[in-house]
Amino acid sequence: MKLFLTLLAFLLPSAALAQNQVALTSEVLVERTTTDASGVARVSLEAPGVVTPGDRLVFVLSYRNNGTAPASDFVVSNPIPDSVSFDGAESPGAVYSIDGGRTWGALAALSVRNADGSSRPATLADVNSVQWRLAQPISAGSGGELRFRGIVK
Amino acid sequence: MNRIARLSAAASIFAVAAGTAMPAFAAGTTAGSTITNNVTVNFQVGGVSQTSVSASNSFTVDRKVNFTVDEDGSSTTQVSPGQLAAVTSFIVTNTSNAPLDFALAAANRVGGTAAHGGTDNFDVSNLRMYQDTNNNGAYDSGVDALITYLDQVAADASLRVFVLADVPLGRSTNDVAGVRLTGTAAEATAAGSLGAIVTQTAGANTAGVDTVFADTIAGGNTARDGIHFDEDDYTVLAASLTATKTSRVISDPLNGTTNPKLIPGAVVEYCITVANAAGSAAATGVAISDTLPAATTYESTFGVLVNGTVTGVTCNADGPLAGSHAAGVVSGTIPSVPPGGTRTVLFRVTIN
Repeated sequence: MKLFLTLLAFLLPSAALAQNQVALTSEVLVERTTTDASGVARVSLEAPGVVTPGDRLVFVLSYRNNGTAPASDFVVSNPIPDSVSFDGAESPGAVYSIDGGRTWGALAALSVRNADGSSRPATLADVNSVQWRLAQPISAGSGGELRFRGIVK
Repeated sequence: MNRIARLSAAASIFAVAAGTAMPAFAAGTTAGSTITNNVTVNFQVGGVSQTSVSASNSFTVDRKVNFTVDEDGSSTTQVSPGQLAAVTSFIVTNTSNAPLDFALAAANRVGGTAAHGGTDNFDVSNLRMYQDTNNNGAYDSGVDALITYLDQVAADASLRVFVLADVPLGRSTNDVAGVRLTGTAAEATAAGSLGAIVTQTAGANTAGVDTVFADTIAGGNTARDGIHFDEDDYTVLAASLTATKTSRVISDPLNGTTNPKLIPGAVVEYCITVANAAGSAAATGVAISDTLPAATTYESTFGVLVNGTVTGVTCNADGPLAGSHAAGVVSGTIPSVPPGGTRTVLFRVTIN
């Protein structure tokens, strides 16, 4: 039976495999800074219980290749939710978009046009999409995690 | 990377549109909003693009209750003793991410250092609050509404509140009365009535909209109690009047005006001086009345000169004939005595 499925997998490469080839989850954590009795600040990540404007968020994107073949040209795209101000990618290799994903680049390569026609360098707050393009294929059975930060507007 | 560089020039074209699509609210995302994150993976297997895989998660934005009560302006309100409806103004700003009502209370400060450095040493009376209904920054009697709370204050909205008070008589210059306006967050349940006082959600996070107090310690407040206050003060500027009466002999029937003596038939000039201390308020409508001494007769041909000046210790006969005499009492009203100034009432009598 197992052999049959494997054979089938080889025979139907794309469509049939796509459903379960890659598992993906998005999780959000809230960064809390608490000061203990001795005055030491402690930063912890918590589930998004009470969340109010100004709270710092960490988005955790987890992926895993559940298939039997390596997944290549692996591109993870995440538009920043409207009510969240982007505050930087924690995982290296990110590229950014300030136009909803039409164009991507390093932050330094992006600029914002001002109302008077001049332009200024883009800042983190201008970013409305973040993307990672993984150079190495994800081998079967392996996975990873990508993180970026945001602040509740 | 080449593609990125090529497209970066196009990026700015869309930047303006992207900026307007995401309005920034100082008070923040409205309570109860759901923030959903969507992530997509595109990949290939065996060189063939596969159907993309997406995932999402959501959470609810809770209610952050934060607001300020601040004095409008940065100076004391100068008042006169006995002044009615002396105005101080405050601004109440809702920096929460939800609309709120605010219960208001105005109270006298009890001693200590008032808002602008003076020492609080008296209380004003009849404290009441008005909303700057026409939002012109000035109290308008009959226009601005008498209130005990602010109704349905939208997130990020600021409203001006006037505190009016009556100043007691008998206070001196630089007496200070501090007043405090306290706002308490209340639910904006229905227009036209004050909602229940807001309480923080106790215990663990709930799936619904929780309430968190976020008000700060600014201005001596207690942090995160849903209450905020600020103070202003009234400083008295009173007139400080001193009245003095002097006399001199003008003439007698035997010596004339040369070294006259106080013998019957002699003419004596009385000068009543009213001095107002420097740094005081101008005193207006200063009414003087003086009963003539016994055994004297009012000199009607001289009359009563009012509002004259003084040179050194000499009263000048330079005021207008504005006083009167009736039944042995001389009267006159000095229109105004400026701070640091002296004005007189001058009249003459004959010794019987």
